[in-house]
Amino acid sequence: MKKLIQLTVNDREVEIAVEPNMTLTDLIRYEIGLTGTKKGCETGDCGACTVLLNGLPVNSCLVLAVQANGCTVETIEGLETEDGLHPVQDAFVEHGAIQCGFCSPGMILSAKHLLDKNPNPDESEIRAGIAGNLCRCTGYQKIIDAIKSV
Amino acid sequence: MLLPRFEFHEPASIDEACEIMATYGPKAKVLAGGTDLMVNMKKKILAPENIVCLSKLDPMHSIEDKGDQIVIGGRYTVAELTVDALVEKKIGALRSGARALGSPLVRNRATIGGNIGSARPAADLPPSLIAYGATVTLQSSKGKRDVLLGEFFKGPGFTEMRPEEILTTITVPVPSDGEGAGYINLGVRKAQDCNVVNVASFIALDAADGSIKDARIVLGSVGPTPLRASSAEDVLKGEKPDEALFRKAGEAARQDCTPIDDFRGLASYRKAMVGVLTKRTLDIAFAQATA
Repeated sequence: MKKLIQLTVNDREVEIAVEPNMTLTDLIRYEIGLTGTKKGCETGDCGACTVLLNGLPVNSCLVLAVQANGCTVETIEGLETEDGLHPVQDAFVEHGAIQCGFCSPGMILSAKHLLDKNPNPDESEIRAGIAGNLCRCTGYQKIIDAIKSV
Repeated sequence: MLLPRFEFHEPASIDEACEIMATYGPKAKVLAGGTDLMVNMKKKILAPENIVCLSKLDPMHSIEDKGDQIVIGGRYTVAELTVDALVEKKIGALRSGARALGSPLVRNRATIGGNIGSARPAADLPPSLIAYGATVTLQSSKGKRDVLLGEFFKGPGFTEMRPEEILTTITVPVPSDGEGAGYINLGVRKAQDCNVVNVASFIALDAADGSIKDARIVLGSVGPTPLRASSAEDVLKGEKPDEALFRKAGEAARQDCTPIDDFRGLASYRKAMVGVLTKRTLDIAFAQATA
């Protein structure tokens, strides 16, 4: 039986009835239509599904949609404003930190959270901060350079 | 990946949660962070008919300084353990374990109760908790009981818990002067992998002559549960601590485990690493005990 949930997604109020066995990833992608959040491993290892849940980066594939009731969710689509790209997004573009782009939404959200907590991380702190986000294309170096430049 | 269907329950209190667990028993599983249960459900290893979500149980999301003990609620997250000042200052080996677990994303959801309750042999939190002499409180509709964590694990995924019980708190004795503990884990990667070997050591020094009056060495990933390295502990007791003694304890610890060969390493390698990590964690414990 579906449950009615209310949550805030990128500053917009959402009210929706969901099956208990729907993941937050599927809620975001299929019900709300925000496909920036990706499905990779679906078991919490790759970070492609990263969103900020009540301000903390999590694997949305491991969160039930019903568990997000009453919560604030921020996806990659929420970073850009009418003034333009978020500084982290801009840095990724400028530094060549995006190749296929599949890891980028999750990577950028993890990086944003890292920089919000620690504005001047050194390389080892950056690597530890994005350890939950896998990239198959870049070899991480340009991602690290991008994060350092912000 | 699709999740199986289930009835979703979201109790507003621990008592209500216990009532639900009493009703459904083995047909129910509790859900906290989901970093273990959700994975098992997606892989079709588990398909509980009822999920009892603990998200509304605020009293379980807590940490309390009781002087000679720290009482941690089962829902306290692993990320919170990594930044908690009380944990860092008083039970630092637990912090080391928390920092080693998973990834920043996993740590934001994983809970201390879950890392204990899921009973994975390579789990990062149990070894230091056992070394500290921690107990867990298990609650059901029939009441509460305390179990020493060292006696809690029965096998991979199997614990002392009855199907209707909920692990509500973990009570950790705080080391006093002359006592210290350390934790080191060895993995193939620096994050997001299953430990190859992990060891926690606790020592207590005699105030009068500085000899070792008590030692607890806990080995993870080298048996079906975390194991006590009793041969190593016997080597240490009554002796004056030094490099050679710790190395000797490390060698003794190798016979206290039953590792397997797998793609992460051979059993012989794991045994050798048990020796190395035992020695190194004893160094950390000793440095703390004499600080």
